[in-house]
Order: sequence, then C-alpha cells, then structure tokens
Amino acid sequence: MNAFELSKQAVIDGREARKKGEMPRLSEDEKKALLSRYHPDLKEEAYTTIRIGVNKGQKTVHEVVRLLEGESPLAENPPDLTPKHQVDVLVIGGGGAGASAALMAQSAGSKVLMSTKLRLGDSNTVMAEGGMQVAISPEDSPVRHFLDTLKGGQMANDRTLLKTLVSEGPANAKWLMDLGVMFDREEDGNLSIRSGGGSSLPRLLRCKDYTGLELMRVLKDAVLNEDIEILEFSPVIEFLTDGNGTCTGAVLKDLDTDKRIVVQAKTVILATGGIGRLHIQGFPTSNHYGATGDGLVLSYRAGAELKFQDTFQYHPTGSIFPEAMAGLLVTEAIRSVGAQLLNVKGERFVYELETRDAVASAVIRECEEGRGVETPAGRKGVWLDMPLVDVLHGEGTLADHFPNMLRQFSRYDIDITKAPVLIYPTLHYQNGGVKIDVEGESTLKNLFVAGEASGGIHGRNRLMGNSLLDIVVYGRRAGVAAAKRASALGFCPLTLKHLEDFKTQKKAAGVVSETVSPILFPDYVNKG
Amino acid sequence: MIISRSVAITLDGEAHQVPEAITIIQAMWHLGRSMEKNIGCLGGACGACVVVTRLPGQMLPHTALACQMMVAEGLNVSFLQGDPSQKALAPLPAESPSRETVFQYYPETKRCVACGACTTACPQKIDVMAGVREMMMGDLAVVAERFTTCVSCDLCAVVCESRIRPYRMGLYARRLAGAFHPQKPLQLLNRIEEIASDKFKAEWEDVMQVGKNV
Repeated sequence: MNAFELSKQAVIDGREARKKGEMPRLSEDEKKALLSRYHPDLKEEAYTTIRIGVNKGQKTVHEVVRLLEGESPLAENPPDLTPKHQVDVLVIGGGGAGASAALMAQSAGSKVLMSTKLRLGDSNTVMAEGGMQVAISPEDSPVRHFLDTLKGGQMANDRTLLKTLVSEGPANAKWLMDLGVMFDREEDGNLSIRSGGGSSLPRLLRCKDYTGLELMRVLKDAVLNEDIEILEFSPVIEFLTDGNGTCTGAVLKDLDTDKRIVVQAKTVILATGGIGRLHIQGFPTSNHYGATGDGLVLSYRAGAELKFQDTFQYHPTGSIFPEAMAGLLVTEAIRSVGAQLLNVKGERFVYELETRDAVASAVIRECEEGRGVETPAGRKGVWLDMPLVDVLHGEGTLADHFPNMLRQFSRYDIDITKAPVLIYPTLHYQNGGVKIDVEGESTLKNLFVAGEASGGIHGRNRLMGNSLLDIVVYGRRAGVAAAKRASALGFCPLTLKHLEDFKTQKKAAGVVSETVSPILFPDYVNKG
Repeated sequence: MIISRSVAITLDGEAHQVPEAITIIQAMWHLGRSMEKNIGCLGGACGACVVVTRLPGQMLPHTALACQMMVAEGLNVSFLQGDPSQKALAPLPAESPSRETVFQYYPETKRCVACGACTTACPQKIDVMAGVREMMMGDLAVVAERFTTCVSCDLCAVVCESRIRPYRMGLYARRLAGAFHPQKPLQLLNRIEEIASDKFKAEWEDVMQVGKNV
C-alpha cells in the first residue's frame, strides 16, 4: 500500500474510536492567531494597491487590480450609441438575484429586459448546496441571526444591511414557498432546520443538498411565465452613463455575432455574481464558468465605490481528488451532521463547525506543516470522513440527505458511504463587492446591485446559508426600488464619458494596462 | 506529479488525442475550443453540457453531462442542443390543483407510450418515465418527489417520441406541490407575525451598538 492508501486506511480504521470524540472550539485569540498566519486574505504578497478610481489607495489581490485597471473593450472602437432596446429596468445577470429582481420589477409594472452571459439560470445559485439561513425556531430570533453573522463577518458587516437581511428572511422564505419552492419539512409540517458553521442554533432551510438548484429552477420557471424579455449569451461589456454620475444603460456583447447591443434603461440592476474563475492566489474554485468579476470591474470603471474588495471566501472543503473534480464543492452541511476532518495521520485538528475562514486556515496549516495528504497529481489536502454520517445517524442518511454528493463522487467510482474523500480550500465567494445602500443602490446613481456582486452585508467572511438569503432579499429589494425609481424618470443621455475620465486618471497615475476587462470567461484553452 | 497518458477520442466525427483522466469539457479546452456554449456550472447542476457518447463495441449511444464524464479510449462524443420548445405559460392556480391543472398546460403528458427512453437518457438517473406515469395517476406529491434532483438538461424531452416534456411537467408538479402543501409551516408563520408586530424592537436597539465604541 502506498502512503495515500495507508493514510486512507488509517481514517477508516480510526472511525469507530473517533465517532464520539469532542473537538474543543477555538477561543477568539486562537482564531485570530490561526487566521493571521494561514488565511489567504492576510498574505501580504498576494495584495497590491489600487492606483485609480474611487477606492484608490486601498488594496486588493493582484488578479482583481489587474482587471480594475484594465482597458475597456470599447476603448479603441466605441460603438454607435443608438439604443437597440429601451426599457424601464435592465437586469444584468440570470442567477437567483437577477431573477428575483426581474420578477419584482416586472410585477411593479416596469418593462424589464434581462441579459445573461450564458443561459437564464446558469449561475452560482444553482450550485449552492447547503441551505438558506432563516431564524424560524422559537429559541431563535432574527437578532440572534444578526449576531452570529456579525461575529462571523469579523464585526465588519454593514449593520443596516444586515438587520434588513435577517428581519426580512422569514417573509422571503414564505415568498419562495408561495412560488413553489419545496423546503424539506418535519412530520408536523414545520420546515426542517440544520446547523451551519458559525451559527449558534440550527437555522438552515434546505432542499436536500440541492437547495440552490431548487430555488433557481423555480425562479427561472416563474420568470419564463412573465412578459420579461431575455437576451441569453449576451454579457455586459460596459456601462453607459450620462457623464455626470448616473447610470443610463449598458452595452452588451452578442456572443454569437460579436455585435454590440446598446440598451437604454431608466435604471439598471447588476447581479453578475463573483470572481471564482479568476483563481485568486492560484486556488481552484467551486464557481460556475462565468464567474469572472465582470460586475466589479464595470461598476468601478463607471465610478461606483467598492467595499471589502480585499476579502474572499475560501470554502474549506473543495474536492481535490480525482483531479477531474478539483475545486468542486463538498457541502458544509455534511460537517454539520458529523463528518470529520482528518490529517494524514487520521487525527482531527479543528472543530469542524468553526466559521469557514477558520476551518480553511486550519486545513492550510495542516498541509503547510507536513500533515497533508498528497494526491497523484501533486495536490495536498486532508480527509473529510463522510461515512461517519451514516455511522452516527443510520445507514442511508447520506443517500437520503446528500444525493448530489453521492452521485458526483460515484461518477468517479468513489463511494462516500464507505471511503473518506480528499479536500482543500476552494475559492468560493467574494465577501465584498460594489457598495450598496439598503435599497440596493450603488454610489453610481440608478445603478442597483444585488447578490454576490454587492458588498457590505457579509463583512469579511460570509456564513453558510446567508448567500441564498442575500440574493432573494436584496434581489427583490433592488427590483422594487429600481422599478419605483424608473417610474418617475425619463430616458437619460447615453455616453461613454466615464471611459475618458478613467483614461485621464490612468495617465496621471502612470498606469499602463495590457489587459482588456471584463474578461467574460477564464482562459483554459491549450495554446500548444 | 504523474505525467498522464493520452487516449484517442472522436469528436463530431474527427479523431483526437487527449490526456486521460480529464472530463470531456477539459478535453475541449485541451483541443483549443474556448467553449462559450454547452457549458455552465461545471458542477453537474445546470444541465448545459449534454453530450451523446458511445464507446467501441457499444451499439447504442449514451447521454451524459460533459463536465461530469471522463474521456476514455475510443470514446465518441457529440454535444447536443437542448429542447427548443416554447415553455407553456403555466401560472400557479388560485385554487388547490389537481392533475387536470398539469394536463391543462402539459396535455401531451397523457400520450406516454411507456417506451422508457426518457429514463434511459436521464444523467441524474431519475426514473423519468415512472414520473410521467405517476402524473397520469394524479399524485402531485409523488411526482414532485420523483423530480427532486432534476437539472433541467432537457434530454428527456429531446428523446421523447410523443413530444412530452417531462422536465417541465415535473417542475410544474413540484411548484404546485410546494405552493399548495397541505401542512402549514407554523414556526415560519409565527416568526413572520412576530417581526411584523415589532416584537424584537428593544433587543435591536441594544444589538445595533454591539462591539462599537469599545
């Protein structure tokens, strides 16, 4: 048996003895020390200073700065700005936030156009597995949800945004259920709840381990029932402004023909998600193919302020073996029902339901200090012992509650009811984004931002289950607010003047960029 | 680091060498295709990357998700376009639904000849045909449960000779079963009530200041 197989056997052999063991929780000081030494957000050499724009002088990772300081695809060849579409509300992005926003704006009487890079529904929403946090149990309360989230966010969260998020959670869960979303239930009809990392009480609503898929397919079906025009395969490549701090539309790119599509809109809702496909610091990612930070880049270029643009979530348990599954998420919910993390010697090394930043840091520590397991492809990671779930809760639990996990691994002949799997942190979420107010409006007038593209709600680390809640609560809020604003407005001039301003700033700061951004897709193509 | 060996695959009729132990999508990148269509979540949840595949010696083709299937020696691959049919405008009814509610928008469901092609095609291994037959029996909750893991890849509709669109019918059955669930989620409803009546007002005043000015 090689070292890999020996280590796996040690995990299997030790399972019975480990099953009742308690792991001490980290004290605040221990957590701080762990993060400062091992969390990728605190790796100085990964960061650089932003030299232009509203957040000038602040830092973020090289991969993001490169794009923020990039050239517009329209810089060389500005299109004729005669609009092809004139609408009240333009919704950019076809995930959960965009769909929620579009539904609300349309029902408020607005003429809505949606544009998406891929198809409606192709998003990170569809991949969210674990659940949606809503404080429903009698012991729980929105206040408690607020405090857990604040603590998890390193006390940095925008409190007004957060209070609204948790207070409107229950009503938004009801809205989803009225649309036909099926959350798992208890015998008595109450919604079933489960624990998540960093939460002091169980409050995750879920649909098995397909919660995001369930939300997305219902929202998508609801959108398709409405009179909402949808342009698929048409990503945004530049905003249009009145030249004076107000967003007035956008330029889209038709991926089939490479033609530009000019949209004039009274208000714009940006819901383009995150940055996983930038592979920050070389991390694999759990994100969908289109997650290339387009929203950050375009909002910034048009003059919107960013918030917490320097902090990212590395989900502790991304699969690393087999190589074809690298980066793919193993849901945190599986740890909340007892799956344990083990190093090469088969020893536990962290309480599995610490917040994601802490668990990820502990995994990185084990690997950096020589207690990781090496895969045949040269990746290092630690074991996640999922069969323990069936040992603790009875045979069939994994199959009943985690059909997605079971199927994904079985496609590569790994039976998660028998064997542990290898994991390492995977780039999962941008904690920050475009700064918004409680109506979802950015600092660029008439540009509303919802979901992962926005920043402030989650502080410097998001808790599990708060993202699905965020996209619905703030997607809907943005939809309502953008529709209301649009109803009182006429169309405003379409200009690319912000590009000139940006150019002037770049010249003054001596910034020379060879990058055209947004990049729209990661470049994985073999050039050989 | 192990240097991987290569395998021969056939893509749309043309032969290529690609490294072994990679997915079909990764093989596309290896072959210089940038992939802006037939691609989505890369995690087996969005149904964008449906392929029809055949191995040497197999008479019948198989269907799969290209982000979830590894290449193999002799594998023959073609990407499929999804179901182009117009989705029926199927709103949720005001009154409690029955199977007639589903048939109103998806009447072709009744034409099932039980050939089983949909079940064979499903990459999620859902017994789709059973779901269609269950719909004919009229138990929405059973149908809803059946389609829990559906990724709407459309393959069941593409292969159906009777032009049934099981994935759309199944999703509509789920929406009906969800929206008209026979039990009330009392805890959720109570909490909504409590928030509406400002029950947590005093707590909020303290909490909004937590950790500030210390």
